[in-house]
Amino acid sequence: MRGVTTHKRRRALARLATLLTLLAGSSGWVLADDSLEELEQAALAAAVDRVAPSVVRIDTVGGRERVGETAVGPGPTTGLIVSEDGFIVSSAFGFAQQPASILVTLPDGARARARLIAADRSRQLVLLKVDGAKRLPVSAPAPLADVRVGAWAIAVGRTYEAARPNVSIGIVSALGRIWGKAVQTDAKISPVNYGGPLVDVAGRVIGILVPMSPSESGEAAGVDWYDSGIGFAVPLEHVLSVLPRLRAGETLEPGVLGVNLVEGSMFSQPAELAAVRPNSPAYKAGLQAGDRIVEIDGTSIERQTQFKRQLLPRYAGDKVRLTIARGEERFDREIELIAKLEPYAHPFLGVLPRRDPAAGDAVAAGVRVRYVFAESAAAKAGIKAGDVLVGLAGKDVTDLASVRLLLQQVEIGQQVEVAVRRGEETLELKVEPVAVSDAVPDDLPPAREPRPAFVGERPATGKFALELPEHANKASVFVPGNYDPAVAYGLLVWLPASAEDAAAEAQFERWQAQAEALDLIVLVPRPGQPAGWAQSDLEFIGHAMERLVADYRIDRARIAVGGAGTGGSVAFVVASAQRPLVRGVIALEAPPAGRMPENEPIHPLAIYSANSKGATNARAIEAGAERLRAARFPVTRRELAKPEGLSDDEHAHLERWLDSLDRF
Amino acid sequence: MMDYPLFVPRARCLSRARCRVGVVVACAVALVATSGGAIRVAAADWHATIAGAQQKSVKIHGAGGFRGLEAYQSGILISAEGHVLTLWSYVLDTEDVSVTLDDGRKFTAKLLGADPKLEIALLKIDAADLSHFELTEAAAASIGQRVLALSNVFGIATGEEAVSVQHGHVAAATSLAAHRGVFESTYRGPVYILDAMTNNPGSAGGALVALDGRLIGLLGKELRDSAHNVWLNYAMPVSAIEETVRQMLAGRFKPSTADEPATAVANSWSLEALGVVLVPDLVPRTPPFIDTLRRGSPAEQAGLLPDDLVLYINNRLVPSAQALRAELSQIDQGDELRLTVMRHSELIEVTLRVGAAPSQGGQP
Repeated sequence: MRGVTTHKRRRALARLATLLTLLAGSSGWVLADDSLEELEQAALAAAVDRVAPSVVRIDTVGGRERVGETAVGPGPTTGLIVSEDGFIVSSAFGFAQQPASILVTLPDGARARARLIAADRSRQLVLLKVDGAKRLPVSAPAPLADVRVGAWAIAVGRTYEAARPNVSIGIVSALGRIWGKAVQTDAKISPVNYGGPLVDVAGRVIGILVPMSPSESGEAAGVDWYDSGIGFAVPLEHVLSVLPRLRAGETLEPGVLGVNLVEGSMFSQPAELAAVRPNSPAYKAGLQAGDRIVEIDGTSIERQTQFKRQLLPRYAGDKVRLTIARGEERFDREIELIAKLEPYAHPFLGVLPRRDPAAGDAVAAGVRVRYVFAESAAAKAGIKAGDVLVGLAGKDVTDLASVRLLLQQVEIGQQVEVAVRRGEETLELKVEPVAVSDAVPDDLPPAREPRPAFVGERPATGKFALELPEHANKASVFVPGNYDPAVAYGLLVWLPASAEDAAAEAQFERWQAQAEALDLIVLVPRPGQPAGWAQSDLEFIGHAMERLVADYRIDRARIAVGGAGTGGSVAFVVASAQRPLVRGVIALEAPPAGRMPENEPIHPLAIYSANSKGATNARAIEAGAERLRAARFPVTRRELAKPEGLSDDEHAHLERWLDSLDRF
Repeated sequence: MMDYPLFVPRARCLSRARCRVGVVVACAVALVATSGGAIRVAAADWHATIAGAQQKSVKIHGAGGFRGLEAYQSGILISAEGHVLTLWSYVLDTEDVSVTLDDGRKFTAKLLGADPKLEIALLKIDAADLSHFELTEAAAASIGQRVLALSNVFGIATGEEAVSVQHGHVAAATSLAAHRGVFESTYRGPVYILDAMTNNPGSAGGALVALDGRLIGLLGKELRDSAHNVWLNYAMPVSAIEETVRQMLAGRFKPSTADEPATAVANSWSLEALGVVLVPDLVPRTPPFIDTLRRGSPAEQAGLLPDDLVLYINNRLVPSAQALRAELSQIDQGDELRLTVMRHSELIEVTLRVGAAPSQGGQP
């Protein structure tokens, strides 16, 4: 280690460096590069020396090997001392594996056991405490107002060597990232320095390094960006502001309001509510679908991104004052955010709509009933196949989209009025919706009248290969030969278990044989690498789906992803990643994988889970199904006769499930 | 062959608080050399540094080109008459190895020597008056120091094109040997870890240089850090390989066998020898809690108790029951065995010695 004199000399040099830089900047002097180079080097070293005593190495013992999809190495992690009596902040990533024991190496080399006191789940931090510590070195925070983009940013960890910190040097790339929660840097951030400080050239702590992702949450989100030149730190100033709550053992959760915004570009759309979750804080405050949020705590909101930037940094328990515009009316509501919403179940009438293309004239207003589920709310109310739904909850029903929108306002167990046209008469009925059902009809009438063969330009039909620029993946697509642009088609994404999966090819042919009868387009994407599915393939699958949605007329209510074995597990991951698109998951002999999908009012999702008796992973499959049911997803469970594949009857059952995805 | 003067890493010598007398003398020699202007390129002009270092870097082509293995890597000139230092790899495992200079001249290279354990190799091409790195003038680097990495990463440079230059900092100085089981590398010596993405296909054997142009080390191969599940970017310091290179140049080098078994200890400790039974090892990272102790066993005599959690063996963390078994197998029963265990929330250290009564200490 360096002697005291060296240390002092370096610090003096740091001041000198700063001074010289200022002088050079103000008067246009040109300094000899030689000295500037060396002074800069000395200043950076001094900054590391200054923060180093408060940077501790943390070892963990025991725990899991994986966190979600990410393998976690057993190596040491880093923490920053934030109080003289032994409170230490670190990244939640190092503790996501739930270690049995946590050991901190203090600045004097002594090892001490640490306890996990609290976590900040919004910013992926943990607070540890070493008992009996006294007068530990604490580093000063860099005031956020002083942090400038382009300034030196030094990432400090203590993982390779306990005696010396490891460093990575870059600049501040941006402020207010991840909806205002983090500072961005191009220093190389990885498990080697997660939990350690990002410091400025004066050795003041800008923030705590954590993996983060603008699009995902969770301890391991953003880890795949390690060492990429995109890294994040939660400002220490913010951490210190919530430290008293963390010290008291309070775990901080992201605050939830309980609304869905209307779909479309969040960069241009207003913060208009598409749905309000029953029993959520927004619901209790009287917010409704169609309301527009125009102000939060006095900050005016014009676009959804502004709304998110204001809302997402907040914690559960925080109060927000919203100004809401409803028609001409404007009013304020003070709302306390909560940590977790009650699981949402979609209200279900028990109706399948017909899918006849709308006739040229507007006579066909309303939704014609194709099928009524036995014992359903609609059956009990006397709705019959052939009826035309024209009103719901006092509002007119014009098309399917309007039914779905109106249903989001309806609550399970509360009677709603339904108006149906039967022949010449219009009936007013009362329906009491239940939670969406996992039943599969035994027999389904056709979804539409046959149509004369389409004549004219149409996109590619039959089986063809789909390739997308910038993706190594290949995919096959099958479009029924009688494709008719007026008809809305279902989209099934069938995932093989590996690059060479003969069973999946056979299954693809089986779907092709049924595609015409089901009005179905089938997409079979293949892994980009021979080793099998990887995170990078998700993007390709998403793009391929978007391509088909753009080129063909796709029924948004009938987009499903499925597969057998690994393909089935990957289907869950795809469904989570493509939540706004996917309405169904088919998993044959496959337990769920990845993160549990969110159950959203505007994005219903149904699951078809089937496995053969005595399958080795039957327990995992059943447990997965139970978890999905607890989150109030409709899960159709089937036991298969053989592990090799579906019998004709079993396949027909699955086809009927797929054919009834547009139920409501 | 060349005669090598005393090797003096100047920067390291100056930064040490306490220099031994002999080293002080060596420092003085180095300073004289410096003031003579022979060694030090002005730090200011790193464009000149880069141009100079690129001239001393070569592109090497050899075996490979199948199953995703690249048939190219990098190397550095270390003599005017065409000695090329590079990393030992499958690329050199052919009669037909070529070296391309930055002026585009292509030579067939002869393998003078290779040390599979250090993972370095020395090639010779038939040329003269080449610009080259002086190993004797190599620099040591400090943590946070700005450095340049030159290599033919991803084989981008072809023909007379110069190798690619990357800029970064020394992130850490550590030793691969200090992290047993973490790196799959036969080289176990000291390394500089870098904060730039220097170690990619083709970069092995490239140069790590200081801004003043002095050589710091040789870029390593692609290596994964399993402790953190990340790719590692590292270079071997010149000091770690310089002696072997000198022997190779002198034609005196005899390679040791590369496939020595990883320090098999004949009479090693084991859980059985200690008299310890751990809790059942059911999950991948079962914490090593002691379940029971054999009566009269060394562990019991040392004062260990059931429910103690074993944390360190000879100061090395054992994060799982599996790691504990592996660690014990590396320690001879004739050597001292220090165990740090956690009992409730207290850390307790015990020492077991053969032929001596086990002693029990307090907290470390």
